[in-house]
This record gives sequence, structure tokens and C-alpha cells, in this order.
Amino acid sequence: MSINPKKSIDPTHINLHSQEIVRIFESKSDCEIWAGFNKGDEMAFNYLYRIYAPILYQYGFQFSRDSSLIQDSIQNVFIYLRSKRGELSEVANIKGYLYRSIQREIIKNLKASTKRDQINCDALGESFQIEISPETSFIQSETNSLRKNKLQVGIDQLTSKQRKALLLFYQEELSYSEIAQIMDFKEVKTARKLIYRAIISLKEFINPAR
Amino acid sequence: MFQDKDHIKFKDYQLEDFLTDEFFIQWVKNPNENTIHFWEKWIEANANKKEVVMQAASFIRSIDYREKHLMNNEVYLEVFEKIIRGNFKEVSQKKGLSTPFNWYSIFSLKKVAVFFIATFITSIFYSLVIQKPIAKEDPIQWITKINRAGIKTVLTLEDGSRVHLNSSSKITYPTRFSDSIRSVVLEGEAFFDIEKQTRPFVVDLGKAQIEVLGTTFNANNLSEEKLEVALISGKVKINDRKGNQMMLSPSEMLTIAKDGEFFKSKFDSLEITGWKDKNLVFRNDDFPTVKNKIEKWFDVEVKLAGSLRKNWAYTGSFHDETLINVLEGIKHTSEISYRLNGKKVELYN
Repeated sequence: MSINPKKSIDPTHINLHSQEIVRIFESKSDCEIWAGFNKGDEMAFNYLYRIYAPILYQYGFQFSRDSSLIQDSIQNVFIYLRSKRGELSEVANIKGYLYRSIQREIIKNLKASTKRDQINCDALGESFQIEISPETSFIQSETNSLRKNKLQVGIDQLTSKQRKALLLFYQEELSYSEIAQIMDFKEVKTARKLIYRAIISLKEFINPAR
Repeated sequence: MFQDKDHIKFKDYQLEDFLTDEFFIQWVKNPNENTIHFWEKWIEANANKKEVVMQAASFIRSIDYREKHLMNNEVYLEVFEKIIRGNFKEVSQKKGLSTPFNWYSIFSLKKVAVFFIATFITSIFYSLVIQKPIAKEDPIQWITKINRAGIKTVLTLEDGSRVHLNSSSKITYPTRFSDSIRSVVLEGEAFFDIEKQTRPFVVDLGKAQIEVLGTTFNANNLSEEKLEVALISGKVKINDRKGNQMMLSPSEMLTIAKDGEFFKSKFDSLEITGWKDKNLVFRNDDFPTVKNKIEKWFDVEVKLAGSLRKNWAYTGSFHDETLINVLEGIKHTSEISYRLNGKKVELYN
């Protein structure tokens, strides 16, 4: 079983030919796919776009609700990368790399369009909202559904930085070091601490003392 | 990863330790053979930690974005075309202007239109050809199909749905489904490829019911210990006898244990559904599992003479092979030999 987002693509974006492309690349590592793209392999680009454009779109909305700004940002990131083919450095985790790229592009464009000097995505308190999805064994009974509500309240009290880290860690399955890079931390242990503290503050809601 | 050091480390784990462990999260979100094997064994050996592990796993799976935005086909194609054409857009300059109307965007609209027309024609064709009026005269009769060990069959139901029935399994279905519901009763294991219709298709598994509209999935209640439903495509809803309702997305599997505990996981499709394409698959299986699979597959009796080392496990897969070839395969890669006498297989080392 291969790791990750490759499974979650929207099937409406796939026709027969592209299913072949997906099948060819699915078994390859991120390094190999990226190297192929860097060498000018259009199939590798096609695969990257297919898999990551929808994910980047979803991710972009955490920063802004301006859909045309997000579309333009995705477009610019890919055009830039295509123009740099041949000189791109190795990438071990494409998702982490593209998240950093899109984030930079969106923030740049947000600054340009609003003329505000300081826009920091993490300062926008309401970004990266988390929802406790209901389809888990958490909600086996009424007491548990009560617990779920309390957990949701606890989660809403986290800072947007903490929520972002939790989403990247659990939802996106990124590692501490990738999270540290995306969130501009100098050290990986900053990401560890951020997540650890968030979990400690939620602990009583996840595992109430019996 | 699997050394003793880690074993001891995990033993002292508290909720927050599981929740901050990348290896644990990998198991919850993307289990592979190794992590599944490790954590199953670990939970067995540390029963007192089971609840904490389950809570941690539930928490990890439940974290999701509140704001979800799907990229629709139009946007997907538009951005793709612009990237291919390579015109870099300065957002600051463009602010307030509408997107220029050029022949490229007309072209992409055309593509979208063709897509919708094709869908429309297909649906008309579907309603005309597939949904023939049902003859009302003949009374509904229930048919029971039983496969003994060694036998697998494929059935086509009245609605066009196909069912691969595994060995040692039994399915009961009507000659004709009612207007409002399509229902069958399964004991054992079957792979379903359900025709999409507005009336739901319901599989009664005794301990739970599976409800679908049109999907492919594998249902297995062969073992007394657990019930498994693995979804390949579409969506299924599972109701257990306690009133819990669960939904599965493609490539997710739901396991309901004997005590009613349930959890979702990813699955290896060769391992779970390979049987329908004549693949006999062993994945790090212990001896009782290997014995059970061979007995069921070939309708033989397997006995072990002597003893195996404690952690003996076998991994291998066979496509449409004879019993002898399977036994030879096992002999080659693990320290085990065999004697075959009619329907009796004796394994020894």
C-alpha cells in the first residue's frame, strides 16, 4: 500500500489515460517523481498537477477565501517550477515542498492585493479551523458524543498555529521536520513542542479521568 | 523500528506519547503489513493499553479541516491550461479585472459541455436499456447457495450485481428483488460488485448490515472473532446491532470485533480481495492462519508434526496454483516440509 494523497484524488478528474499515468507513478518515490519532473518529463508534471493541484487548492483556502487569488497562486507556483526545470534541487517530500511554495506565493499575493505590510497567516486568528469528524469510534455512545463536543470546544481554544500543526501532523501526515519547515521554525523541536503542548491541553477531553 | 528498545518504550506510553509518535500515526493513517503486524501483536501483549491506543487512534483519524474546498473541473482545467501556456500572472496588477475572455477559455467550456452531454446521453441510455420493466407475475423465491471448502463461485443477481462467493460460505438471495430494497443474507465471505440503482442493496451479516447503492466491496464474517468490510469503490454504510452507524470511503476497511469494538483501517487489496481472482495470499501469517487458509482453499486437512519456532510466519502469494505448488513454495522459503496423503497434509520441520 503506497503512502497518501495519491489515493484521495477526486475521480472526476481522471479519465482512462490519466489512470495509467497515476498507476505508473503511484509506486515511485517522491524523489524519483521529482527527478523526472526536473528532467522535463511531461508525464511527471501531469501526475504532479493531477495529484497536488486539488490538495493545494484546499490548503490555499486556509489562508484566504479569495478563490481567484488561490487559483493564480497555484498557477504561478507550477509555472515557476516548470521554468526552473533542470536546475531544481532534490525533493524528498513533494507535498511539504509544494505547501511551502504555495504558502509563500499566497502570502506574497495577499500582501500585494491588500497593500497591508504585515500579513502573517498565523496571525489571522481564524485560519486552519479544525473539525472533529463524526465517523470515528469516538461516538459509540451518548457520553462519547458529549465528550466529542467538549473536545471540539477544546480544539477551538487552540491557537491557529497549534491547529495548523495538528492538521499538518494528523490530517496531512507530515513529519515534524516537514512541519518545522512549513511553519518557518529554525528547529524541529519547536514543532514537537507545539504539538505536544496542544495535545496536553486537549488530553482531558480525549481521555477523561474515569 | 521493531527492536526491543522500542517495545519497552511503547509499554510506558501515555496518551500524549502515542499522539506525538510519528510511527504510531503512520500505523493509524497508512498501515502497511509491518505496522499492522507490529501493533496487533503489541495490543495483544499489552491489553491494558488497548483503550488508550484506541482513543489515540480515534483522535488522529478525527482531525479534519473545517473549511473544505473542492477544486471543480472547470477551475482544474483552466489553471492547467494556463500553466501549460505558461503566462505568469501578477496578482496585484490583475486585481479588480475580470478574467480575459479568450478562445482558450471557450475551448475549456466546450470540454466541460462535452462532458455533461456525454453524461446525459449515458444516463438516458442507462434508463432505457438497463432498467427494463420487471415481470410481476412470478412469486419471489429465496435461493441459498452454499460453497464447501475448495469451491468458489460467481453469481449474477437479478439486478445485474455480481457476487463472488468464497469457499466455506453461504449466501441467500431472492429470484427477484422487491421494488424498494435489494437484500441478501451472507454467512462467510463474498466480494460484491453492485449495480448502481436508486433502491439500496443491503447485505445482512448477522452481526451487522451493510447498505449500499452501487459499489464494490468485500465482506467477511468467516471468523467467529471478527467481521470485516473492505471498500474498493463507491460508498457503504454499515449498521451494527447496537445502533452504531459507520461510513466507509474507498480503500478503507471496517473491522468489528467479537465484543462489538470497531475500527477503521486501510487494507492491502491483494490480501483482502485477491481470493476472487484466484490469488491465495499469505501476509506474515502465523501457523494457524496458514493452516486455515490452505484447508479452506484446497479442502484438505492440515496437521503440524513437530513444532515451529515461536515467531514463525509465512508471507507469499500464489495465483491459481495447485496444492503441491503452494506447499513447495512454502517449503522453499520457510523451514517447513510436507507429506501429502490424499486429503491430508502433514507439515513438519
